[in-house]
Amino acid sequence: MSGLSDRILGLGLLVLAVAYGWVAQQWPEPFGGSEGVGPETFPTILSVVLVIGSLYLMLKPDPEALWPWGKTAIELLVAVVVLVIYTSLMEPLGFVISTTLAVGTLSWRMGAPSGKAFITGLLSAVVVFVLFNYGLSLSLPAGPLEIN
Amino acid sequence: METLGYLMDGFAVALTPYNLMFALAGAFLGTLIGCLPGLGPANGVAILIPLAFTLGLPPETAMILLTSVYAGAMYGGRISSILLNIPGDEPAMMTCLDGYPMAQKGRAADALAISAVASFAGGLIGTIGLILLAPILARFALTFGPAEYFALFILAFATLGGITGKNPMKTVIAATIGIMISTVGIDISTGTQRYTFGVLELYEGIDFILAIVGLFAISELLFFLESRIKSGHKKVNVGKVTLTLKELVSTVPTQLRGGVLGFIAGVLPGAGASLGSFISYTLEKQVIGKKGSFGEGDIRGVVAPEAGNNGAASGALVPMLTLGVPGSGTTAVLLAMLISLNITPGPLMFTQNADIVWGVIAALLIGNVLLLLLNIPMIGVFVRLLSIPPAYLLPIVTMVAFVGIYSISHSTFDLYFMVAFGVAGYFMRKLEIPLVPIILGLLLGPEMEKNLGHALILSDGDWSTLWASPLALGLWLVAALGLVLPLIVGPILRRRMRSAIEEGPVSD
Repeated sequence: MSGLSDRILGLGLLVLAVAYGWVAQQWPEPFGGSEGVGPETFPTILSVVLVIGSLYLMLKPDPEALWPWGKTAIELLVAVVVLVIYTSLMEPLGFVISTTLAVGTLSWRMGAPSGKAFITGLLSAVVVFVLFNYGLSLSLPAGPLEIN
Repeated sequence: METLGYLMDGFAVALTPYNLMFALAGAFLGTLIGCLPGLGPANGVAILIPLAFTLGLPPETAMILLTSVYAGAMYGGRISSILLNIPGDEPAMMTCLDGYPMAQKGRAADALAISAVASFAGGLIGTIGLILLAPILARFALTFGPAEYFALFILAFATLGGITGKNPMKTVIAATIGIMISTVGIDISTGTQRYTFGVLELYEGIDFILAIVGLFAISELLFFLESRIKSGHKKVNVGKVTLTLKELVSTVPTQLRGGVLGFIAGVLPGAGASLGSFISYTLEKQVIGKKGSFGEGDIRGVVAPEAGNNGAASGALVPMLTLGVPGSGTTAVLLAMLISLNITPGPLMFTQNADIVWGVIAALLIGNVLLLLLNIPMIGVFVRLLSIPPAYLLPIVTMVAFVGIYSISHSTFDLYFMVAFGVAGYFMRKLEIPLVPIILGLLLGPEMEKNLGHALILSDGDWSTLWASPLALGLWLVAALGLVLPLIVGPILRRRMRSAIEEGPVSD
């Protein structure tokens, strides 16, 4: 079926719009009685607009987008995983180590030779760390490298 | 003459050594951001916002820095267009047509020099236009009531897809999603918790800066990964400037025409810098006619689009500063900065924060001079930076984005959110859902709801008040046109822009 992505997106947005609108109707009436506009008025309008938009998408989808499959898709997934791991390691491992690993891995996956990639990671991590911690006195997590 | 006085005050703000230093830094960074493909102006400015915050810059300095970056990016876009036939940003697309052939004929240095002059002329004309038009529009905007503002916001969204936009319904969807995200958090007027699901971090709402940086920077990284452009570009030899004064003078009419047309395109909703440079180029081609050698390296073919896009860049600041309604992605990001500085954009800003508005305008004038000075002798530096392979550059840019967001709140919660926005941004770009309306929705959502509330309270709940006044009705009509027109005119314009580019030199 042509335009499958748009139809799936439309379905997802329809669910979102209905859920969003339904939640808005559940809020208790604000203290002091209801007026012309309550906290639910604006969200209700938005949910109606999105319902119309999502129905339109499902009925008249654009031509199918070109999705990367196979190796490229895995590369993309790897990149996202690297970013998530980078975030989770930033505080326990400290900025310099986690950044070296993250920038190094990303730039290696983007086609740089692995040695150069990790050196770039280390250099950029140290430069940014020094610049921020000493130049701008903003503390980035030092992790185990902390010197007291 | 009142304006002149304000402008002098503005210069007093912008010319302090501290602010001047930031203007220079901004101009340099901006040129860099503009010339590196894959790092667009909106993206570049967005990454700098958290940095401006953490530096603890005073509001006028922060705005001067970002405005200089914005102006600089418009200059920078031309460098890779001319040397590599790859536009550094979208408005620089038309510069490829004659810039690249000039470079192939060994006149790269001339093309770069003349385009810097043209950028300067366009920027100057645009800024003068801004100085003349903005106070008038601001005064007019003071007569707007809540209903008119509500209609104006609708107009902004409707025209945001632009006249060349593809599927207006997707613009509507994008804007709605953006506004929906902005409703998360505690409702300002009643204190009701909306969509927080008891998560403490959501009580204050979702910070639009992390949404912007995530949507732009992270999705860009993923896009680059997908396209797998591995190697950097070969270093190009620029050569010496052989431009004669006579040649320079002969392009003056082109510069004036381009600048004025660009400015008009910039002010109008839904047009923007890309259309500005396109119109300037096309008109120039028609004015010169057969006498020119357009597409084969005509010097006027470089001048017209560059003057046009820089004029448009200044023009686009008019609706942003006076109405608080930006017309392009980058001006939307500048608006984000203003809102985060707790400055309410719009007509009142001209009276309440006159020093900031006029400081920014003066900085734009100074910035243009700095950029001209920076761009002629230092062109070699930028050309060398072009040869940095994206495999090193993009991970570092992403890391800087992480640092910026982390330094706002020192919480990794925000970083996870940013990555999530980035992944969502990637899928949306794939599905051709424009990102700019999402950002504008995030920024304008609260204001829109506030104005809707005020309008309805004033009218005792009568919804027809929203289109009761002639002005509001007019805005609604233009908004409707803005949605319908691209369906009719869009395909024609897109085809013309494409064929104009295909007629040009084929890249190898």
